[in-house]
Amino acid sequence: MLELLWLIPAMPFAGFLVLATAGKKLSRTGAAVIGAGSAGVSALISLIVAFSFISSPPAGNSYSQVLWEWVNTGGLSLSISFYLDALSVIMVLVVSVVGFLIHLYSTGFMARDDGYSRFFSYMNLFVGSMLTLVLAGNLLLLFLGWEGVGLCSYLLIGFWYRETQNGYAALKAFIVTRIGDTAMAIGLFLLFYNLGTLDIQQAMGLAKANWPVGSGIAIAAAALLLGGALGKSAQLPLQTWLPDAMAGPTPVSALIHAATMVTAGVYLIARTHVLFTLAPPVQSAVAIIGAATLLVAGFSALAQHDIKRVLAYSTISQIGYMFLALGVGAWSAAIFHFMTHAFFKALLFLGAGVVIQGLNEEHDMFRMGGLRKEMPATFWSFLIGAASLSALPLVTAGFYSKDLVLWDVWSSRTGGNWLWAAGLLGALLTSIYSFRMVFLTFYGEKKTPVTRTPGPVMLIPVIALAALSAVGGFVEIPGTMGNVPLFSGFLETALPKMVFSGVPESELISQIIAAILSVGGIYVAYFFWLALPEYARDFTKHPAGSALHRFLFSGWGFDWLYARLFVRPYVWAARVNKRDVIDLFYSGIALINRLSHYALSATQTGKVRWYVMVLGFGAFITITIVVFT
Amino acid sequence: MDADTLRALLPLIIISATPVAVMLVLAFYRSHALTVFLVLAGLALSFASLFPASGLLPRMAAGLLVLDHYSFFFMGLMFAATFAVALLSYGYLGRKDIFPDEYYILLLIAAAGSAVIVSSSHFASFFLGLELLSVPLYALISYPRANPRNVEAGIKYLILAGTSSAFLLFGMALVYAELGTMEFPRISTAALFPGTDRNFVLAGVAMIITGIGFKLALVPFHMWTPDVYEGAPAPVAAFVATVSKGAMFALLLRYFTIFDIRRYGSLMLLFTVISIASMFAGNLLALFQNNVKRLLAYSSIAHLGYLLVAFLASGVLAAAAVAFYLAAYFVSTLGAFGVISVLSGKERDADMIDDYMGLAWRSPWLAGIFAAMLLSLAGIPLTAGFIGKFFIAAAGVDSSLWALVIILVINSAIGLFYYLRVIAALYSRRPGALAASPKLPVLGGITLGALSVALLWLGVYPATMLEIIRNTISRFF
Repeated sequence: MLELLWLIPAMPFAGFLVLATAGKKLSRTGAAVIGAGSAGVSALISLIVAFSFISSPPAGNSYSQVLWEWVNTGGLSLSISFYLDALSVIMVLVVSVVGFLIHLYSTGFMARDDGYSRFFSYMNLFVGSMLTLVLAGNLLLLFLGWEGVGLCSYLLIGFWYRETQNGYAALKAFIVTRIGDTAMAIGLFLLFYNLGTLDIQQAMGLAKANWPVGSGIAIAAAALLLGGALGKSAQLPLQTWLPDAMAGPTPVSALIHAATMVTAGVYLIARTHVLFTLAPPVQSAVAIIGAATLLVAGFSALAQHDIKRVLAYSTISQIGYMFLALGVGAWSAAIFHFMTHAFFKALLFLGAGVVIQGLNEEHDMFRMGGLRKEMPATFWSFLIGAASLSALPLVTAGFYSKDLVLWDVWSSRTGGNWLWAAGLLGALLTSIYSFRMVFLTFYGEKKTPVTRTPGPVMLIPVIALAALSAVGGFVEIPGTMGNVPLFSGFLETALPKMVFSGVPESELISQIIAAILSVGGIYVAYFFWLALPEYARDFTKHPAGSALHRFLFSGWGFDWLYARLFVRPYVWAARVNKRDVIDLFYSGIALINRLSHYALSATQTGKVRWYVMVLGFGAFITITIVVFT
Repeated sequence: MDADTLRALLPLIIISATPVAVMLVLAFYRSHALTVFLVLAGLALSFASLFPASGLLPRMAAGLLVLDHYSFFFMGLMFAATFAVALLSYGYLGRKDIFPDEYYILLLIAAAGSAVIVSSSHFASFFLGLELLSVPLYALISYPRANPRNVEAGIKYLILAGTSSAFLLFGMALVYAELGTMEFPRISTAALFPGTDRNFVLAGVAMIITGIGFKLALVPFHMWTPDVYEGAPAPVAAFVATVSKGAMFALLLRYFTIFDIRRYGSLMLLFTVISIASMFAGNLLALFQNNVKRLLAYSSIAHLGYLLVAFLASGVLAAAAVAFYLAAYFVSTLGAFGVISVLSGKERDADMIDDYMGLAWRSPWLAGIFAAMLLSLAGIPLTAGFIGKFFIAAAGVDSSLWALVIILVINSAIGLFYYLRVIAALYSRRPGALAASPKLPVLGGITLGALSVALLWLGVYPATMLEIIRNTISRFF
């Protein structure tokens, strides 16, 4: 059944083509059927393919499918080829299944929107590109998918383009990620130049064979790819675009800016893990950036009022955990956390979408409240999502993945106490801001009346994701509770095992501390935002407290800093250089072309005698050159 | 001549018999649709007969024609292109309201001429093919004879082509006088013979190049191109741009591969100069051109310049590049002229950029096809033109023709300007000079659709074409 592989990305692309060309003529139902249907078929096929892959693994635990060779000449071979191994199986499953659920939800969420078929055509294009990205067998196709998802992200953030602000947010996302993409493109050129192949597996094999650990070229290549990953996954210092990206419709935030696209950086690093193993300094940088990001974003999430911005900062922070895990060589843990995060974060966004739509586009959590009774299904689902995000022990998926990340960070040879402590502090922050969100939104007194309740097409995906967020972690039971490493055992056919430091720390200690922090965080949230909200209010009224609040609210002032460091100097330079000096060169070239055009045009007189003369003259020159040189 | 040779000659026999058959039918019954049907059937039959005959290759026929996979590939290309031209002509002539019958006979004779050219191995067959191709063209160009512009273009072509043929004949005579042979393979060996006057032979070759250069519209023999393209009916212009030039280029490649051009530094220099001059002159002349037909004429000058880069690179890779590029160029050029054809009305052809203003808002598919064809001519990825240009550049790099490759790249950039100018007009919001909503004729629409599919197919999945080229063209080398 593995031959069906190509259909997985092909289905959403086909849906996109139909919607893009005939979208205007389709009814709403038609657009929904094609949009969500193509994603659904794709999800179904990926389930079949994944089942077949797991039940009877192909030789070498990987399967390649070369669809065709586009160009093959002079040592450059560009083929459209897909590569399936344990890593891409997980990625494809999550992307297509979560993608389908979000498509289904969107058929209800966008029901009253004008750009209905346009929305689904972008969403299909996105799912197709994302699947291409994770299935790509060579770097060029991977880059194509990478840029494809970037384009869709841009288009969907600015989906409601009549609001200028949304256009700016889309631009910001595009430009900031572009900085990373440029680094990544240079990295890809570097790999191709030095290894002479674009095929990922070949390139990794060659790099392993030819480059010594810590060699300059490996460090350069890994650092450049890391640049791309930082941009796409919104990690320090390129994280500023993600909170603004919440301008897009909520399903977009769920799919692109939480579950799938923003984790492309994690995938990229895992896919090219050989390079990062060869470049220890870069790999340490990955861990440190991850730890710093998860703290910075975690603190910022505490101070947000807009429910979607809380979730955005939370996403940045959770991806920080994945980077932290990648940085210490805990590849499986990173991918495990990616998977559970995709479930519970998509769930939280979809739940937030229901709430926002129910309260007539109200985003401010301080104007919500008391929704527990009015939206029970949403409440319980959201609660499960928040519990999973806070890694509530034993019963949530988030617990198992975060626990694995923390334990691996602590016990890895390249990890250690400091990184572990950062992770633990982050866990506390996570559970505080998660339940701050729950308490403000669903508890307390009612502040805004509910005007719209979700239909079944919106609730079914929410409930399905809630189920996944609760039980999705049981595929990997830690050593202290019975040791069922199904997930990491499967992934280790594609990714190497982590190297332990050998110091006999107890996994149980890590788990107990994490569990205490998780529950403690919930209590803190309960104390400040439900039991005694005056404390939190008084804190923000105090001058120092209010300054701190503003600082965190603005996401540690990165936008302020970048505006002064980059934007203003750039605008200033552009203003000074209004009559572009460098342009003179190019307008000079244009002028030469223009003059040559007019000079040559003057020779086309339309007179036959002149033409004959030129013909004779040409013959004369020809004979002269041939005979006398 | 044995039976196998006759069978191998079948494509040529069918393409020559078809005009006769059409003529005979016309004597009894005149119907545009029937004529076109016969023409298309004849072309399809000639094309189909290539396949059973291809098992019998290579062989010589009467010492004049060489039937090998090389000539069969190009014959197939010529037949297919003529097929497309005939399809486009049907709607075009129907709207013009003129007796269309002789038009198709002339077209078929010209196609037969092109088939003779690509399989000629002798000066006699070469010249015969050339005139079979040229003479019908004089009439075809001025076919709507009520229109003085058509007549002017036809007469211009007649005078200039006549002059160039004189050069060609004189060059052949010089070569024959010195070497005593008119067969291509013998010429190349005889030229190396001690005691021959090299200058005599070279002067003859130079004059032959003049004649060929005229047909290919290479600088400095290009002056006729814009006037003739502008004056000719759009489908005929497409024929001149594709079949007439493609056949000559196939001959040029065959002739100089046998001649082994790399032995002659002066010939290499000449073609290098011609190639550079053609690329620059063609692209620069097209820059601010407001007449789309003239613009395509200039662009074809530049495209032949690109082809010369691969020609100069010589070798298997280069020949494959030439074949692929020609196929891509055929598809794009036929498509571009096809759009002009279906939009042209009774009075005049839709040949001004102003006619295309805002076409995309009235007829998005047509505008999309036109834009795709222009992008292919400009060499943008995912179209056939990109792969073709890529192979040419690869062939050039492979033979270390750095200067030529760099000039090719510069010229691609210049070229982009005028193609995009037309595309910008297609998508501009200003209303165009053309009637509100053009109705797409069925046959024209099918032709354009098929050409677009071919364009994308070659651009996205070039393997099929490359396989065909590997089995035909590459065997010659």
